[in-house]
Amino acid sequence: MLVMAECKGRDRSPSSSMDSSTHPALSTASAACWPTRPDLSTDLRLGLSLSTSLSSSSSLQAAESIPSMPSRNQVLLSWPPIKPFLRSALAASASRRRRQQTLFVKVYMEGLPIGRKLDLLLLDGYDSLLVKLCNMFKTPITYADVYQQQVPGVKAAHFLTYEDQDGDWMMVGDVPWNLFLTSVKKIRITRTDKC
Amino acid sequence: MGRGVGSRSGGGAAQPPWHSLPDEVWEHAFSFLPAAADRGAAAGACRGWLRAERRSRRRLAVANCYATSPRDAVERFPSVRAAEVKGKPHFADFGLVPPAWGAEAAPWVAAAADGWPLLEELSFKRMVVTDECLEMIAASFRNFQVLRLVSCEGFSTAGLAAITEGCRNLRELDLQENYIEDCSSHWLSSFPESFTSLETLNFSCLDGEVNFAVLERLVTRCHNLKTLKLNNAIPLDKVASLLRKAPHIVELGTGKFSADYHPDLFAKLEAAFAGCKSLRRLSGAWDAVPDYLSAFYGVCEGLTSLNLSYATVRGPELIKFISRCKNLQQLWVMDLIEDHGLAVVASTCSKLQELRVFPSDPFGAGQVLLTERGLVDVSASCPMLESVLYFCRRMTNEALITIAKNRPNFTCFRLCILEPRTPDYITQQSLDAGFSAIVESCKGLRRLSVSGLLTDLVFKSIGEHADRLEMLSIAFAGNSDLGLHYILSGCKSLKKLEIRDCPFGNKPLLANAAKLETMRSLWMSSCSLTLGACRQLAQKMPRLTVEIMNDPGRACPLDALPDESPVEKLYVYRTIAGPRSDTPDYVQIV
Repeated sequence: MLVMAECKGRDRSPSSSMDSSTHPALSTASAACWPTRPDLSTDLRLGLSLSTSLSSSSSLQAAESIPSMPSRNQVLLSWPPIKPFLRSALAASASRRRRQQTLFVKVYMEGLPIGRKLDLLLLDGYDSLLVKLCNMFKTPITYADVYQQQVPGVKAAHFLTYEDQDGDWMMVGDVPWNLFLTSVKKIRITRTDKC
Repeated sequence: MGRGVGSRSGGGAAQPPWHSLPDEVWEHAFSFLPAAADRGAAAGACRGWLRAERRSRRRLAVANCYATSPRDAVERFPSVRAAEVKGKPHFADFGLVPPAWGAEAAPWVAAAADGWPLLEELSFKRMVVTDECLEMIAASFRNFQVLRLVSCEGFSTAGLAAITEGCRNLRELDLQENYIEDCSSHWLSSFPESFTSLETLNFSCLDGEVNFAVLERLVTRCHNLKTLKLNNAIPLDKVASLLRKAPHIVELGTGKFSADYHPDLFAKLEAAFAGCKSLRRLSGAWDAVPDYLSAFYGVCEGLTSLNLSYATVRGPELIKFISRCKNLQQLWVMDLIEDHGLAVVASTCSKLQELRVFPSDPFGAGQVLLTERGLVDVSASCPMLESVLYFCRRMTNEALITIAKNRPNFTCFRLCILEPRTPDYITQQSLDAGFSAIVESCKGLRRLSVSGLLTDLVFKSIGEHADRLEMLSIAFAGNSDLGLHYILSGCKSLKKLEIRDCPFGNKPLLANAAKLETMRSLWMSSCSLTLGACRQLAQKMPRLTVEIMNDPGRACPLDALPDESPVEKLYVYRTIAGPRSDTPDYVQIV
């Protein structure tokens, strides 16, 4: 990307109050090159709903047209130079448009021949997906990220996998939510002892 | 200066020399000089004129609230009736200035309350205005008439209630893009039933509900109401009712103009608009309801200003609408209008003076078909076009050169190519040639924003040719210190310079330190500045305030940091008041 090439690796520590690893869009390696993080505190004050959790429903992401990769410009909340009122109006109208769209995928549980269908656009992120599926199938399920930090004593019998555009079966949870939405075709709840 | 005047006296009677004419005569003479710059020049002529001018000054504009102390301003100009004060730097609009930076309106209101009891108009832009400020305004000025708040924050509807209740002679309440806390206080109901002087009411930025019956009664009894800008809480059918009560309206903001299509509602709207023969300016957050657009057709011909920057209307309906607006002078629109829409504007709106095109999908992939073509067409066919703000995704030097040739009369040219450092998409070269053509051709250019891939050379052109340029905005441009040096050593009339994400360092700043005192302010963020240079600058130029902004989460005392420490944000401005004392933790004055 053009701007990445410009980033001359100035050795100054990120002078931002937010750690880049807590924001899903920044957890990709390329973003680590940015000399500074934009000032999210201003945006919080301006009422844009930004959440730092993995299942982020930030207005940033609301402003995209699904399905599309979060563009590099989203890393810079102060660019392009549009005023906050216009910014939030665009985010609101984009999220209204998003609500009119659907992304239904088939969900199969291993061992059950009949699958279910789920509109992923109604969900905020991985956490909501998990909760929804646990309710649908009445069993504890986990996914890649959470699996790493399992609470002792709680052992899920199933974990989540999905089929992507290439036909490969992947662990759910590795990529940012929006990227997941663009590549998921089917979801499969696999038994833990299988893997 | 006037040396000959005394000697031109006729007859034998002794004429007093001009300089002993009583001050009131000069004050009267100066009242014919409306422009502040002219008055300033007159005041500089001699002590007598200085005295007369400052005592008769009625309108005061303070472009930087920290350039002087409020008390000094009030003392120097004791007869002011209308004051405008601006606070935060322009880049605060884009989130580059953290919260609680300063720019409190309270000291200004307090000083005005003491020194300007006859104050009639107050306008604040990018400042923190509290409810206490509003209460003080309502209580202090007997004849208060105009309150204008633009991009301010810190107040609530309770403060507004103090104004509406207390200001018996209020003519204008103009709230533009402020953050207003909704305390559900019935500010609108606080206008007394006997109150009828309102001419302008703009509450478009207010989030909450208003009591419609109260609004309707207010609109009905204020016969001089010319400007009414509603917020999103007013539904479409109510808009129609209001228009029937205020058919003399000149400026209308419809709020959220959206509803399911219903023929009755359509008929109601059409009839209401047909009655508005004086309507000239129209705006609103039109939410893709093409079916209702034709209800406006009756007013299109008379419109001089159309603000659709919050409207997601697109396609043929939009174009059909605009093609009826033959007298448009000002058009603000989303890029949903696309190139072919702008071609229609070009052929229809021969009186167009100002065009702004905003991005509907700034973070997306870019499926809107708005390119350089649209701007070229408009610049070719609209001979009075002088002000442009254009967001697009691609540009060529050829287009810019053509635009420059077509429209040497530009006074404001702001081009924002969405992706930083985008080159000419055909030749892959920088856009130096294009922007150089603009500054060479448009000799009256006062404001310029550049974007796309640019080297130091474009700044050489700007420095050399942009003699009347007062405000310049630069982002993601240039290759070295030279770029900044060209600007600071040229640009004779430069007042405001704002720069972000450019590889400009310390040398040009220090080499051109004196220039900074001729300017109102300089903003530099994400450049290559270090603390040492800022310290040197501050030492060299005592009449400048040099502010450094650190990351709010890490307030570190400046004294502890070495000279090589990078400076993330720098804001320098001239002031006669010395360093301000209200800086938050993260701002340090060197």
